[in-house]
Amino acid sequence: MTMLQRDHVPNKDLRRQIVDMCVSGQNGHIPSAFSILDIIIVLYRDVLKFDAKDPLWDERDYFILSKGHGCLALYVNLHRHHFITDNDVRLFCKKGGILGEHPDRTKVPGVEASTGSLGHGLSFALGIHLGLRIQNKRNRIFVLVGDGECHEGTVWEAANIARNRKLGNLCVIVDWNQSAMQLMPFDDMPAKWAAFGWNVQVVDGHNEKEIQAAIANVAFVNDGIPHVIVAKTIKGFGIPMIEGHGKWHHRIPDANEHKQLMEALA
Amino acid sequence: MSKSIRQQFADTMLAVGQRDTDLVVIVGDISHGILQPFAAAFPDRYYNIGILEPTMMSLGAGMSSVGLYPVLHTIAPFLIERSFEQLKLDFCYHQLHGNVVSVGAAFDYSYLGCTHHCYDDFALLKTLQGSEICTPASAAEFDALFLQTYRNSHLTVSRLCGQNHGVEFRASDIIFGKAAKIADGSDVTLVAVGSQLRTAMRAQELLADKNLTADILYIHTVRPIDIEPIRASALKTRKVVVLEEHMRSGGFGDDVLRHIYEIPDLRFHSLAIPDVFVRNYGSYDDLCESVGLTPEAVVTAVLTK
Repeated sequence: MTMLQRDHVPNKDLRRQIVDMCVSGQNGHIPSAFSILDIIIVLYRDVLKFDAKDPLWDERDYFILSKGHGCLALYVNLHRHHFITDNDVRLFCKKGGILGEHPDRTKVPGVEASTGSLGHGLSFALGIHLGLRIQNKRNRIFVLVGDGECHEGTVWEAANIARNRKLGNLCVIVDWNQSAMQLMPFDDMPAKWAAFGWNVQVVDGHNEKEIQAAIANVAFVNDGIPHVIVAKTIKGFGIPMIEGHGKWHHRIPDANEHKQLMEALA
Repeated sequence: MSKSIRQQFADTMLAVGQRDTDLVVIVGDISHGILQPFAAAFPDRYYNIGILEPTMMSLGAGMSSVGLYPVLHTIAPFLIERSFEQLKLDFCYHQLHGNVVSVGAAFDYSYLGCTHHCYDDFALLKTLQGSEICTPASAAEFDALFLQTYRNSHLTVSRLCGQNHGVEFRASDIIFGKAAKIADGSDVTLVAVGSQLRTAMRAQELLADKNLTADILYIHTVRPIDIEPIRASALKTRKVVVLEEHMRSGGFGDDVLRHIYEIPDLRFHSLAIPDVFVRNYGSYDDLCESVGLTPEAVVTAVLTK
């Protein structure tokens, strides 16, 4: 892995859309969304098989955003790929809308799991994988978890099962943005997954080429070893004033801050 | 001797599994031995998944999301209490179907202490939108209820009551969501949930000695409640006693009372587990006695409450 690229901020257009949605809806976690945006862009643009007109298409790949509070990054991609409409975006966190601060599977086309409470998405994905295996299907399954989320014991319960049951069509991506660092750090996140017997790769989570290459390396063998891509990321990546783990975690920009953020993303 | 309800669970899984390829059984290292016929017949649809109940629950919900019909099984407190958020979010918030079958009702594991007791399950599960709660207390009941419900579009929880109440039912007598009329009387309405039907039957004999007769309604489906036969009986007797192996708070008695409290001159008594830990040891009968679930307590309630 190269050093985290800090000099080039990709995908400024979707970063601006996330800021605008947050201001419009007066809700949202901008830094968490910026942390995972580049990964989700690669997934939807280059990797996932889907049909936005038929979100439940039998042959689709599954993507579960287990750290549901980063959902603005998912929403802008669902919008870009026509799962949801301009109007849905306008109504983010508003009366009558389908988009809230955590994604709801029963409302939002393309959302496979209603997440928000951490530590559920991976376990839910195991059931999808085992269920598809029973049905002789081989759809790929991607799950994005946060490093803070990895404090939840269920993540490791699931890691154990996935290896034990050889859920090789599964690719977990860890958003290693050091959220855990402020309270109970993981000194070596890749080693944790390796200890559970997973195939591990480490990438710069803001470098699209590295993300693409890592996913291309995944064999996706139905009865094989599960894969994890530990993505080194920066919470709030793209705008230095909101980076890190301070007050911006759940802060809504005021008018002046909104202007500053948009200028930074110009 | 009649078949145990737990053996029936295993037999029913095998029978249903043979004709329904969507049935998947997932256990947390409980009943693994008696489920071996199912495991041998359908190795790809049987998982002794490990001792990690919350993840087992989420995994079951994920399976449900791809159209299978999971049955999740282990000891009640680990299945319901430990995994409650998974039940709530991964099944009910997601609007997914599934079957949860618990063993060790209330204090069936009387010697094992409070860690293995579960007498708050009705209260917890009633808060989950769309959930269904069954309390079969004989083999025939479990089989009939499971066949009727396992493909429902909601979460269905079956509390396997280990203590057979001694009343034989034909399968055709057991209808999901319907109370079963056991006896006709005029002085009191006894509403018995699960194994406590046995207490009600014994109480009926004691009441007969005092020239009192009881309507006995048996409840194998706690949710949805079948209130009309209870209301009709209450209007006749004006005296209702509910017997259940559940904490008084949030139990079936609360539901009954909420529906019938406006009946004039109604006298109501809930015979349930006090809102405390049942810290005693001993047999099932010993614990029933310790919490006041006895035929004599029913008679006292009828005469004095």
